[in-house]
Amino acid sequence: MSISKDIPELIEAGIITPETAEQIQQYYKGKSGSSSNRLFVAFGILGAILVGLGIILIIAQNWDELSRSTKTIFAFLPLIAAQVICAFVLLKKSNNKAWIESATTFLFFAVGACISLIGQIYNIPGNLSSFLLIWMLLCLPLTYVMKSSAVALLFIVGITYYAVEASYFSYPITDSSLYWGLLLAVLPQYYFLFRNHPKSNFLTVENWLIPISITVVLGTLASGASSLMYVAYFSLFGLLYTIGNNAFFKDKGLRNNSYKVIGTLGTLILLFIISFEGFWRDIVLEQYVFGNWLTTTEFWVAIGISLLALYYLYTHQKNKSLRELPILSPIFLIFIIIFIIGLFSSFAVVLINLVILTISIMTIIEGAKKGHLGILNFGLSIITLWIIIRFLNTDLSFVIRGILLMAIGIGFFTANYWMLKKRKKNE
Amino acid sequence: MNSKKILLTAFIVVAIIQLVIPAKMIWDKERILETGKEFKFETAPIDPTDPFRGKYIVLQYKENSLQVDSKDTWVEGEKIYVILKTDSKGFAAIDNVSKEKPSDNTDFVKAKVQFISGLHSKTLGISYPFDRFYMEESKAYDAERAHIESQLDSTKTTYALVNIKNGDAVLKDVLIDGVSIVEIVKENRMKD
Repeated sequence: MSISKDIPELIEAGIITPETAEQIQQYYKGKSGSSSNRLFVAFGILGAILVGLGIILIIAQNWDELSRSTKTIFAFLPLIAAQVICAFVLLKKSNNKAWIESATTFLFFAVGACISLIGQIYNIPGNLSSFLLIWMLLCLPLTYVMKSSAVALLFIVGITYYAVEASYFSYPITDSSLYWGLLLAVLPQYYFLFRNHPKSNFLTVENWLIPISITVVLGTLASGASSLMYVAYFSLFGLLYTIGNNAFFKDKGLRNNSYKVIGTLGTLILLFIISFEGFWRDIVLEQYVFGNWLTTTEFWVAIGISLLALYYLYTHQKNKSLRELPILSPIFLIFIIIFIIGLFSSFAVVLINLVILTISIMTIIEGAKKGHLGILNFGLSIITLWIIIRFLNTDLSFVIRGILLMAIGIGFFTANYWMLKKRKKNE
Repeated sequence: MNSKKILLTAFIVVAIIQLVIPAKMIWDKERILETGKEFKFETAPIDPTDPFRGKYIVLQYKENSLQVDSKDTWVEGEKIYVILKTDSKGFAAIDNVSKEKPSDNTDFVKAKVQFISGLHSKTLGISYPFDRFYMEESKAYDAERAHIESQLDSTKTTYALVNIKNGDAVLKDVLIDGVSIVEIVKENRMKD
């Protein structure tokens, strides 16, 4: 610790009293204690994952020479061992995070190994999604009984894999609506973690996993009227973005604000996709094919998520002025209006392009106001990407394309130069 | 202390469930092996890897499709019951398929619709729930080769030995001319 070297000097110079020096040293001692404990938890989990995966791999070797009953005993051995360790942890080490997390992680993999080996012994057909489902169901209670955050994270990964395997990768695809129930089942744990340990690393990871998982799995609900899924996804990203701007996340850096990052990127990517005419031709076609959208799952999913996003936006924004409205928050509502216009008129595609331009300009203005180079350049990047997509792949002459590129370059340069100059002046 | 007791009780309940469910799987399969009826399904093969389960032979069966009435609607992936009979050579053959569970005194196995093809006379492909035979990783390849060779040799017959009870099936062994494929791989290794 560099500060401990400086302390004698500071005392000599009379800047701090010896008592203060003692307090400072105590403070850092406590802090380093907790950080080494964190390291212990991390390595404990890593160790348990490696041992668990090792067992699964050894089991995958599938010893032909052993009799069926011997194999069965081998299937249960790691499971029982892990259960005994967990019971011991509950009794004797219930306050030690490193013990809890590593023992429960080990049990998590032991359960998987056990079902997997039984599958091999009896040549049970390899339906990966049903295997994952049983595994996850058997391990869900561990997140609450053992109060293990690591298993909650593994659980989220597991149910996501299950939904993806069942509804994207299998042929013929199977229903994975159970995913939503399982996700709901892990949310109380998420809430407790958020309330009791808002600074924990587990929460940071879970903050990333949950929105990513929902984003990935939402698409499994599509049955054919895929343009309506755009409404659902826009509203989902709108909701994530607004959550990313709430009191808890607002001042966090990008690494810790998964909701804002995913909401922003998702919204922008979708806007760019639908800024092409193809999308709008498809929705008119789809309207003919499906005639009545009311009967599709997508319709109700889209309505549900949109209402949720609207409600959250309303509660988040009701005591604030319109000026404080984060730029991307209302995009999902604007999209719904443009979507309806798009059913009747091809003017919609022009509106979407205007929306992209407005967003980029507002982002640039926000960056300039806050004196934030990152935001400023993000706005400039949006407009650059838009220009490249709109103009550079058309039949414009090389001279005009060249001038456009130069204009973009000069724009970046001037904006950054002006900003830096302004900063210097303020200093 | 009290909450600790509750947690421990809850953990014991969870632990018991974690033991009972795999045990139930074993019990069900053992019942089929003990009291089920034995069928021989003639095969045709292939071989991938599954990240969780080591190596195995994928089996396909000669009796894997039948003509169905074009008026009936079948959905791919749908659960069906395949009613079985035994042909003159002693191999399992499809008698019929049904969407409803047949009565207990017929021999049937649960399966899924693999594909539907044809417009006027429809062919219904069946995917059986016993399409994998697990082997030790180092032996799976040799077994596969032995299997393919016997498929090419028209004098040999390859079949899977399957026990069936109440529609549930357990694959016991894969045999080439009556000899277990595990034994054949071992013998071939001795020769090498």
